[in-house]
Amino acid sequence: MSASLLFDILVTGLITGGIYALVALGLNLQYGLMRVLNVAHGEFLMLGAYVTYSLHMGWGANPLLTILVTGPAAFVAGLVLHRLLYARVLGQAEAREAIESRSLLLSFGLLFVLQNTALLVWSADLQGYSYLATPLHVLGAVFPANRVLAAGVALGLSVAFYVYLRRSLVGKAIRALMGEPEGAQLVGVNLTRLHGICFGLGVAMAAVTGSLISMLFELTPFVGLPYTVTALVVVILGGLGNVAGSLLAALLLGVVETVGVYFASSDIRLISSYAVLSLILILKPSGLFGR
Amino acid sequence: MAASRALLAAVALALVGAPWLVTGYQRSLLLAILADIALAVSWALFSGPTRYLSLATGAFFGAGAYATAVVGGRLAWPLPVLAGAAVGGAMALVVGALALRLRGPYFAVFTFGLAELAKHTLIWYETRVTGTVGRLLLSPPGPWTLYYTVLTLAGLAVATALLLRRSRWGYALVGIGEDEERALTLGIDTTRVKVGTFALSAAFMGAVGAAMAPRWTYLDPQVFNPLVSFQTVIMALVGGATTVVGPALGAAFLGLVSELFLLRFRYVYMLALGLTLIAVVVAFPSGLAGIGRRAPRERQG
Repeated sequence: MSASLLFDILVTGLITGGIYALVALGLNLQYGLMRVLNVAHGEFLMLGAYVTYSLHMGWGANPLLTILVTGPAAFVAGLVLHRLLYARVLGQAEAREAIESRSLLLSFGLLFVLQNTALLVWSADLQGYSYLATPLHVLGAVFPANRVLAAGVALGLSVAFYVYLRRSLVGKAIRALMGEPEGAQLVGVNLTRLHGICFGLGVAMAAVTGSLISMLFELTPFVGLPYTVTALVVVILGGLGNVAGSLLAALLLGVVETVGVYFASSDIRLISSYAVLSLILILKPSGLFGR
Repeated sequence: MAASRALLAAVALALVGAPWLVTGYQRSLLLAILADIALAVSWALFSGPTRYLSLATGAFFGAGAYATAVVGGRLAWPLPVLAGAAVGGAMALVVGALALRLRGPYFAVFTFGLAELAKHTLIWYETRVTGTVGRLLLSPPGPWTLYYTVLTLAGLAVATALLLRRSRWGYALVGIGEDEERALTLGIDTTRVKVGTFALSAAFMGAVGAAMAPRWTYLDPQVFNPLVSFQTVIMALVGGATTVVGPALGAAFLGLVSELFLLRFRYVYMLALGLTLIAVVVAFPSGLAGIGRRAPRERQG
């Protein structure tokens, strides 16, 4: 295997992984903090992609700049969904497992609602547009410029969020809640408000990733679920509530997948991600970097 | 007690006699609803008392259906149904032994992944190894045979659920649902009880899949349909998963709605199904049967 091929596979893998990082970070934030396993996560990604598509086709908006619309809009939608649905379920006086299962069912309900709304609005046909589909030459290898841009933005946002979590007051409160829920509330952290903010941030991350992805692939209302599964694999691989672990696991998965697709074939991709998910759940539910 | 027993007997008698009185379309509608009832009751058999949220119904149903397609031409009816039950049960024994250590949403995600994993593996296997994507069902049994097969399965599922509720085994299941560690401390072999019941409920699902498969003359791996898993959960929850009559009523109601609307207004139906799930989870955590039980007390107070 030549050095340039190795470089090609590595960079392609990191590009894929950078996009995974942002989706997975959103899911991890929701699960790590609220124990809400949001299987509708990929549907918000799908909606973000379609909104960008519509803004671009209808008004000629720059796809990259639409994240300034999809991000905040998704954040507000997440706040509202949390207030109307999740806060009520999480507030029920029941065993923790019962509440977790119930919030999972809630997310499945959302998945049905969002996916079929998209089917009614945008139909099941493939739709897409072309943006920055120019080749970018780097050290003898060629990468599509739009992929490099999308992965760069996704990875940049992920790292920025990680730093925000480390440095800011809200970030400290979030980390405190993840590690020590009772103690954090004792020192005055408002649980319900932070839950709302985190759910909103998670939804926003999915929608922004969707906007970025719409530059790369054609869309159907079914694009969401595979990303949910990938995000789940990443979150479980990296450890629940472990943000740095998620980032590493996303990049790792991106590279491993690229190697797999290169040497085997692409139809093995879905099988392998479900198989990996099942294996980790059985062998090491606390994740590769689990404490 | 005597009244409810008489009602049960009357319903059973009406269902046995129904094919003589109704049109062919109505009979096939009843058949579909009976299959939904069998699925929802056997789902609640395990997931109701233990609170393990299983999304594997589609996987076991699909495995049973596919088993019929593979052995169907060579075995006389009802042997394919038994084969479907065996495949479903065996699959659940393996999956249960692996996955029933997982609690809460992990188990749900694992079982959901199972149907997808089975589907994609089968698609891959069929295209790569056998070179086909589907199988034709040759010489299927007649509609009357199918009707009575599914009626028998639904009856067996309800009878099993009723018997289980009052047995030591059934109390052990409720104990596991309330506090698994305490149940273990009290000397219940929780693994055996869980895996055994999971396999029993999966055997019913596999049998239903096998019995319903001849309705389609052509089967492909899409029969591993996650919608089956969700519909079953929603039916049981709408009715109240901790009772026997709840899942049956929920299945009868939603089964009818789904047969009437799914083909004509697919997206609107699925949208409404999602909204129903959300409403049930947020507003009626114990299902419609739970409302019925609570209502008189609230009226008094």
